[in-house]
Amino acid sequence: MVAVNRDLVEQVLRDYDALRRPDADPELQAVRAAILLEDVFEVALSDAEIDPVVFADPSAVAALVARRRGTF
Amino acid sequence: MCGVCGIVGYDGPPDLALLRRMMGRLGHRGPDGNGCYRDRRAALGHTRLAIIDTSGGAQPLCNEDGTVWVTFNGEIFNYVELGEELRHRGHTFRTASDTEVIVHAWEEWGEECFSRFNGQWAIALWDRRAERLVLSRDRLGVRPLFFIRLPTGLLFASEVKSIFADPSVARAFDPAGLDQTFTYWSPVAPRTVFRGIEQLEPGHYAVLDRDGFRKAPYWRSTFPERGREPVQDAQENAEALRERIIEATRLRFLRSDVPVGAYLSGGLDSSVTAAVISRYTDAPLHTFSLRFSDSEFDEGQYQKKMSAVLGTQHQDIVVSPSDIAAVFPEVVRHAETPILRAAPAPLFLLSKLVRENGYKVVVTGEGADEVLAGYDLFREARVRLFWSRDPGSAKRTRAAELLYPWMARSPGRMPAFARSFFGRHLDPDDPAVSHRPRWDSTSVIKSMLSGDLQDGIGRAGAEDVVAAMPPGSEDWDPLSRGQWLEMTTLLAGYILASQGDRMLMANSVEGRFPFLDREVVDFANALPARHKLFGLEEKYLLKRAFADLVPDDIIHRPKQPYRAPDAASFFTADRPAWFDEVMSERAVAAAGVFEPSVVAGLLAKCRRTDGKNMSNTDNMRVLAIVSTQLTHESFIAERGCGAPERALPDPSVAVDLVTDDRSVP
Repeated sequence: MVAVNRDLVEQVLRDYDALRRPDADPELQAVRAAILLEDVFEVALSDAEIDPVVFADPSAVAALVARRRGTF
Repeated sequence: MCGVCGIVGYDGPPDLALLRRMMGRLGHRGPDGNGCYRDRRAALGHTRLAIIDTSGGAQPLCNEDGTVWVTFNGEIFNYVELGEELRHRGHTFRTASDTEVIVHAWEEWGEECFSRFNGQWAIALWDRRAERLVLSRDRLGVRPLFFIRLPTGLLFASEVKSIFADPSVARAFDPAGLDQTFTYWSPVAPRTVFRGIEQLEPGHYAVLDRDGFRKAPYWRSTFPERGREPVQDAQENAEALRERIIEATRLRFLRSDVPVGAYLSGGLDSSVTAAVISRYTDAPLHTFSLRFSDSEFDEGQYQKKMSAVLGTQHQDIVVSPSDIAAVFPEVVRHAETPILRAAPAPLFLLSKLVRENGYKVVVTGEGADEVLAGYDLFREARVRLFWSRDPGSAKRTRAAELLYPWMARSPGRMPAFARSFFGRHLDPDDPAVSHRPRWDSTSVIKSMLSGDLQDGIGRAGAEDVVAAMPPGSEDWDPLSRGQWLEMTTLLAGYILASQGDRMLMANSVEGRFPFLDREVVDFANALPARHKLFGLEEKYLLKRAFADLVPDDIIHRPKQPYRAPDAASFFTADRPAWFDEVMSERAVAAAGVFEPSVVAGLLAKCRRTDGKNMSNTDNMRVLAIVSTQLTHESFIAERGCGAPERALPDPSVAVDLVTDDRSVP
């Protein structure tokens, strides 16, 4: 399992942000982000967590990943 | 790039006339010269496409005392560095060719020499003293090498048609080879579609001597355990990748004594290689592109844009469905195997354009999709794994809409279909989870097979490529497992063969592939998977590494897989007469592969729409049948050679130790 710390979370989010070409549909954008986060951080999110509001806030994402991994 | 062939006889000297016939069938691979060698046990043949040391370097070529001979197809790109090392170790060189490096490297390092080579090759070495034949093939299977083991000896050649020059070689389809083709898109080495004909596995060498025949790998495609990749920083990896790709491209452009051109597909990979040549070499660049009369397949606007950005001298060819049908029999004769897409045909026409413009070497972007994870199949797999974590989630189902945004009939507009198609066999623990949808949809072809062939396949037993995955692969990232399967099946068996070597060499053109450079592949395999496929962003690191050299709209355009009109090519009003002949009930029954009534039904369905708007499965079925019928006609039914036999000019090298006749330049 990849060693995860806050730096890695922030780096991944920065890289993702640099790439992001917004989907017209915010929910679809959230699904796209969830695919990335689940793969990189080896977590499984609930439907409620695949949420455009959560993914719009890097701190919230970092907290979510930490919660799901039980780390930091 | 050249053609190689040879014979090792167990019962007296090999037949020189047979060797010459074998060479004649490889004339298209080497129109610039030819040569042969024979002693009491072995004979080597060579047809030459002269690229390095065009005045010297004729083959077969030997060491200082004439005890080791080589016939070689390909390039050893690090031959300059290896030559220097071998000279320091006391070896004396007579030529400036990479071929001679092989002989001395073999003397110095034995079979370990292959792991020192960075290149693309099919090699046959004959050690007279040990009476030992050594065959070797490059790591990923860029160059072909076939052989057959007979009670009387062993024959080898760059193409099967050369082996079929021996009338004693029986000709029949191998049911297991066809089974693999109709599952994986091609036979998986060592198997071919012809009974008794084997191909040396990529990354392997084989030895035939007094102790018998044996094979061993000198290289294997491998990946680190997920999470234990050596460098986790994306920027550091992007810079290192860039360095390696630049060096690999420079080597392939500069190490040639004839001009080298480049393909420009309009996609990212060939744009990167062409841009690197423009930026990092001084030579003017000539680029070549393939266009389609059907706008669904055409990428002309991106090709023109990239050519304009780089200031290349650019030429293209526009291919129509009728063009594909016209050359398809010749394409299959060169491919020597059934093909499930028409896509090789336009590439055959493209290499013809290259040759007509006086070029015989091109650099292309082939291999990037496998090495750096560009294929849609990898994106599909990631979506499938995403679904598998909560199969009932409606929100997750929407991921289907993120696949194939470029397609007019996007699964995004048909989420139920996409969810159903990609949602089958959704087992996250399946090592081949990435490939099951493709293999399943391809296997539909087998429902059309004749009863006899189905029985034959049943008797042969299924060969599961998944069972051959290396120990430890269960700890790789799922993307790495998918990459391994893709490199083992489609890359070697179809992309580099039917779409690569065969279509290029049909017109005497050598392809060079920087993304398949040893250093690039080993480095890419060791990357964290997320640096290759970042979420659903394919070839992420490549885009990041070359963002300054390739325009944004090419970097960020949705990936468009290379495709050509399939069934539609064969149902135009002006379709050639050969099509109806090879697809007739009589011809289908004679070949014995497909059930004639089922074929007739499919053809009737195609005729109703002129082959247009057919499903992916029906397109594949039509191509499978027509190419199998042509393969049967060319190589089995007519007992021909599948291509015109060329009269060879006088040889540059002719050494016959049986009659003690020598003529070495």
